Amino acid sequence: GDGFLDIPPQGRVTEEEIRTNPNAAVDLTNGVYNVMWLGGFGPDVHGLQFITLTSIVSDDADKGSTPQDYSPALEIDNFTYGPTNAIVGNLWTGYYQAIARANQALDKLPLSPIDEADKNRLIGEVRFLRGYFYFNLVRTYGGVPKIDRVPTPEEANSDAFQTRATAADIYALIIEDLQFAVDNLPLKGATPVGRITKGAAQMLLGKVYMYQKNWQKTFELSQAVITSGLYDTLSNYADIWRTRGANSIESIFEVQTGTNAACNAAIELYANSQGIRARRGWSDFGFGFNNPTADLVAAYEPGDKRREATIITIQPNGTVLWDGFRVPSRDSVENDRYNYKAYHSRTQEPYCNSPDRTPKNLRVLRYGELLLQYAEAANELGNTGEALAKLNIVRKRAGLPNAVSGGQADLRLKIWRERRVELAMEHDRFWDLVRTGRAGVVMRAHGKNFVDNKNELFPIPQDQRLLSNNRLTQNPGYN
Amino acid sequence: RGSGAFMQAITIKGTVKGSDGAPIPGVTIQVKGTSTGTVTQPDGTYSINVPDANATLQFSYIGYTQQEIALAGRTTVDVVMTSSASELEQVVVVGYGTRRKRDVTGAVGSVRGEEIAKQPVNTATQGVQGKLAGVQIISSGQPGSQPQVRVRGTGSMLAGAEPLYVVDGILTNDIRNINTADIVSMDVLKDASSAAIYGVRGANGVIIITTKRGQAGKMEVSYNMTAGWRQAANLVEMANTQQYTAFLADAGPQVTIPDFGADTDWYGDVLRKGFQQTHNISLSGGSEKFLYYFNVGYLTDQGIVRNNQYDRFTIRSNNEWNIVEDKLKFVTQLSYMHNETDFVQLDDIYTNTYRAAPVIPIKRDGRYGNTSAFQNVGNPILTLDKTNDEIYENRLQGTTYLEYSPWKWLRLRSSIGVNQGFQNRRKYNDKYLNDEVTFLVAGGNQQRPESQLTIVKEQGTEWLWENTATYQQRFDKHDLTVLAGYTAQKYAGDYIEGSRRNVPNSTDLWYLIAGDPNTSTNTSDGDKYARTSILARVNYSYDDKYLLSASFRNDASSRFPSDNRNGYFPAVGLGWVISQEDFMQNQKLFNFLKLRGSWGRIGNDNIASNLYILTANSGLLYFFNGTATLGTNLSDIKDRNLKWETTQEYDFGLEFSMMDSRLTGEVNYYNKETIDALVTVRIPGLLGDPDNEYTTNAGSFVNKGWEFTLGWKDKISDDFNYTIGGNLTLNDNKVTGLNQGQPLFRGGVGQQGNITKTDNGQPIGSFFVLDAEGVFQNQAEIDNYLNKDGGKIQPNAAPGDLRYRDANGDGLINSDDRVYAGSYQPKLYYGINLGANYKSFDFSVDFYGNAGNKIYNGKKAFRYEITDNIEASYADKRWTSARPSTTDPRVLLGSTPASDYFIESGNFFRMNNITLGYSLPKAVLERIKFERLRIYLTSQNLFTIKKFTGFSPELVSGATKRDGFLSLQNSTSPLDAGIELYPYPTTKTFAIGLNVTF
Repeated sequence: GDGFLDIPPQGRVTEEEIRTNPNAAVDLTNGVYNVMWLGGFGPDVHGLQFITLTSIVSDDADKGSTPQDYSPALEIDNFTYGPTNAIVGNLWTGYYQAIARANQALDKLPLSPIDEADKNRLIGEVRFLRGYFYFNLVRTYGGVPKIDRVPTPEEANSDAFQTRATAADIYALIIEDLQFAVDNLPLKGATPVGRITKGAAQMLLGKVYMYQKNWQKTFELSQAVITSGLYDTLSNYADIWRTRGANSIESIFEVQTGTNAACNAAIELYANSQGIRARRGWSDFGFGFNNPTADLVAAYEPGDKRREATIITIQPNGTVLWDGFRVPSRDSVENDRYNYKAYHSRTQEPYCNSPDRTPKNLRVLRYGELLLQYAEAANELGNTGEALAKLNIVRKRAGLPNAVSGGQADLRLKIWRERRVELAMEHDRFWDLVRTGRAGVVMRAHGKNFVDNKNELFPIPQDQRLLSNNRLTQNPGYN
Repeated sequence: RGSGAFMQAITIKGTVKGSDGAPIPGVTIQVKGTSTGTVTQPDGTYSINVPDANATLQFSYIGYTQQEIALAGRTTVDVVMTSSASELEQVVVVGYGTRRKRDVTGAVGSVRGEEIAKQPVNTATQGVQGKLAGVQIISSGQPGSQPQVRVRGTGSMLAGAEPLYVVDGILTNDIRNINTADIVSMDVLKDASSAAIYGVRGANGVIIITTKRGQAGKMEVSYNMTAGWRQAANLVEMANTQQYTAFLADAGPQVTIPDFGADTDWYGDVLRKGFQQTHNISLSGGSEKFLYYFNVGYLTDQGIVRNNQYDRFTIRSNNEWNIVEDKLKFVTQLSYMHNETDFVQLDDIYTNTYRAAPVIPIKRDGRYGNTSAFQNVGNPILTLDKTNDEIYENRLQGTTYLEYSPWKWLRLRSSIGVNQGFQNRRKYNDKYLNDEVTFLVAGGNQQRPESQLTIVKEQGTEWLWENTATYQQRFDKHDLTVLAGYTAQKYAGDYIEGSRRNVPNSTDLWYLIAGDPNTSTNTSDGDKYARTSILARVNYSYDDKYLLSASFRNDASSRFPSDNRNGYFPAVGLGWVISQEDFMQNQKLFNFLKLRGSWGRIGNDNIASNLYILTANSGLLYFFNGTATLGTNLSDIKDRNLKWETTQEYDFGLEFSMMDSRLTGEVNYYNKETIDALVTVRIPGLLGDPDNEYTTNAGSFVNKGWEFTLGWKDKISDDFNYTIGGNLTLNDNKVTGLNQGQPLFRGGVGQQGNITKTDNGQPIGSFFVLDAEGVFQNQAEIDNYLNKDGGKIQPNAAPGDLRYRDANGDGLINSDDRVYAGSYQPKLYYGINLGANYKSFDFSVDFYGNAGNKIYNGKKAFRYEITDNIEASYADKRWTSARPSTTDPRVLLGSTPASDYFIESGNFFRMNNITLGYSLPKAVLERIKFERLRIYLTSQNLFTIKKFTGFSPELVSGATKRDGFLSLQNSTSPLDAGIELYPYPTTKTFAIGLNVTF
């Protein structure tokens, strides 16, 4: 009879059971946070491939490692990539996996028996994350398919899901998601550390409006974060990216990590892929990718404390790191410079012997950036005084004299330059160059074969276009 | 003599021997047309009472020709039974019963156990290679591994392309526990009409294994042994220091090569000659009430890689109780296996051995050469030295049944089969640092700062309950057999795994409790599935001339959703024994001639359980307030309408026996179409599935082909006879539909990405790569290789680089220029078997070969690092300015695109086995009171003739997986077949053997 053959899956909770479990909505929400650890050499959200498309591509960093290692990243660095580049494909699948998790949670959250305020808080968290994922997607590929719910099997192959929405449509979805988050999330301190706060939503929404040049909105949302009084700059810039600076007063949105018995509670291949790579004679810290460029070194004004805090410079006779570790000599390692912000001390910081999953929190949004986005909006709105005041908070911490304004255009350039050094190696440089329309000029000056109206966006992955029966159109210049 | 009512029985006596002169016990002797019968004693003698001096005796035994001998007044009849794999008259097992091969309407092949037992092979499957048309066997050299079998082409796109094995009624897909010495016969049901009686799992053919049973008579004790060694049959010579240094000067001038004065042959140290031996002691005998067969076997096989070892201990006990003579019978057939493996992760070892640079020494003064500091490759010898991985496995398999015959024409049988396995794995990875205590120079990434112990316990139990009724009756010229049955089966298995770090290096401390509890990890998982079936079959023959068989099976499998759960598998076969016709009685050419044709449909559910049910992944970590919190997700995409993969096959055959049965043969044509093939297809990334693929019914394809089998045997004198046999299979595999889906791209080779494409009109897993036309000899050739707009087609090329054909004519070389370049599916394969007996000597030799397939030299193409070693043949042939080559490029890099430069011929011809034996003459045997004593020399795979420059043209797709208990599968699918990525050397074996019977 059929009873004999009706065998439920072993060791797996079925969708049916999820529906009837009151904790399911919370569990599914937490599962969305977890996807931010996705990395490695497959689908990627914040691992080496994310690093490649945000940092290695820019004038802040070179591919690094050995010349032959990881040629897909070399293609990105040199602007020779095409639609079949594996990294371009893996970021796409990683972010859509993240979006699918968010949609699954949003599908089940309304069914949850928990009270309305809690439910809206959870929905707010998930919508914030979905907005963040789409923001990275739209900045990488332009308009992408808009998947804002769980498709039924019948409609999964429909044109609505298999064709690209416009960038404007995606931005509209992002703004809607983030506005819901702003309206429903609690302030920092009123929710466990690591959960999305109203401040994070305000800052990200402000940043999204900055991409739309809606300066008034950027200004208001950034101002709300400042006036909340819950955030400030951390006095020692170098501490921001160390464990002691995790979830500090500076932190607004940060990917949480930790140590566990399996030693896998972190972003895969974030810190390790950027670790110092030995050529011989000692046990190294990683793969040696994402090396700060000489161009970045030169971007710092004399006396800027942030340069030493951002860049490990390997001296001919060795370099002593902040935790006392001594890199033996220049000829014992592959590269001249490494990213200090990604350095994780194995002796002074929590470490459980799994180099691929070093527990380094990724600082996505922090107060230093907020001040600069506020300053940029203020300057665009003609409020030079406010712009300078916030810019100079950032400069003061860096040990630099106050900037003065030589007019709106001059101040704009000063803020942009400050953004570069304040946020160096923090995955925003390339998008900033594109946002501000300088990418072609800057990248060509940097010796890269950047083609205008093409390289601002990455290509739609070739295999994804095939899987859509070519309903996904290609970005200009990549056909 | 007597007359009338006092008709007195006449006693006939004699001895039955095989063609090798050895007595054959257990031969059934029946007085034709009566129920009177007996069997031969262990010494081959018999005695039977016949009612009539002119009666006819029938001699029959599985695997031998049935003979009818008219007494014509004689009272002593000695018989020599002849046997041959290509024999038409033998009895074959057809599933839930046996038939004479002459009465079978489908395509069935059979190999006798002794053919297998004489070969020094670990699994019976290997021994069948080259013996049967339509059965392709690919075996790797790994001890304890199961060869890959393809019956009539690749019949499935997923890993479940293996045939079903039926061991004494037990359905399984792993027969590594079966001692070859216990096997009476292996029968292969090749076509759909034969296999349809196994409906659910017969789609890729069925291999039925029958084990030995006792025969009435005095106890027979026999001892069989082999001892010998195995070694790598063929090694790829790697570049030496001089060749390697010259290559790196071109490929990576920036690389500084350390000078240790070394010229290391890594294979020399990793590989060895592996000693192997087998011993079997069997006892058999019994009375009319009770028959027994008991065997104890021991096998030890070192394998050719250091530290590898496989020991297997088997017990078989097959017993038969005749509770009420001819009415009630109870039979048990049980086997127990225990094996212990010193396991070596051969993929890693072989890959690193292949990659390791000759400039690095293996070990000096107790310190290891640091390959990883120089080139990112672990030193394989260090890996072997620092790993201890032991696997213990127990397996109990058997059937018991009760058979009741209320009337002679009805047999009712109820059988319970069980297949139970338990496996225990203990893996200890010792700690070592990449410092100068361990290595000659410090550095690199080969290190393990903390030791780790992992314990895995796995168990699985499968039971099978079968109830059948067989009606058999002969009315005049009508012979009718009807079978009906119901079966049910269920599997449940699970594993538990735990690990801890910082466990001391001492065997007595290798328990998790000895490790650091803060590093404790554990997990467990399980699987269950069930099937039920109703089956029926009718066999009818009229006058032994016209044959009909029809069968029907209804299977239901838990692996499909309830709406699609039932599969209906009908089959029908017709046969015409032309030689029985009156018009054939006056010809002398054919002794036997049969024409047959059949059609059948069968299914395949050989996929993972529950692929249609959406499940959550739980245990997804994140930290809130610094505390670990668990989350879940539901992002997997599943096909909720999953259904049976079905195969439909037409089969036509002609079987004949000519020239006093000295020449026998068979020709088959088949056309096998698989529809709704289960396959894992890629799905758009925007659906968010974690691996961007799901299993669905997404393709159809056809295998069609011809099989030819021919056998010749002759007896020149009493001292000399010989046999010559051969078989040839032509197969054509073609994808016919992909259900409107995309072509399937598979076969990942490093940065080259997917190199196979499965698409309409091409064989499954066809290579799809650039067409390398040659090598640019100078800059002028590059400058003159222009597109129609006058632009350079390969502007970045340098002299010595490969020139690729601009296949789509767009003036660029990119992935759009890829073309089909053959597949691993052979167009033909063949076997040749020769045997001869001269006085007390016996000799046999078997050959096997295949042709028309291609291999992708993936290990050559997959350049992990610029510093990876290269093949010596490439080093010698590659283009240099001083030594221009038109075939081999100057350098190979990780970024060298996939092209037909890496594709080589898969053709090979091998001497599979050669055996020379000597049996003591009868006179000597009698003096020393032995029944039989034979000593022999044998060699497996003495030589292989091949074009392929890699290790072996026999590529089991991926390594045999160790997980997934009782559901052993090769880890990659046919879509990836034929890529030599992990270079496994095949092996050759030399052994001496002894057969003794008391």
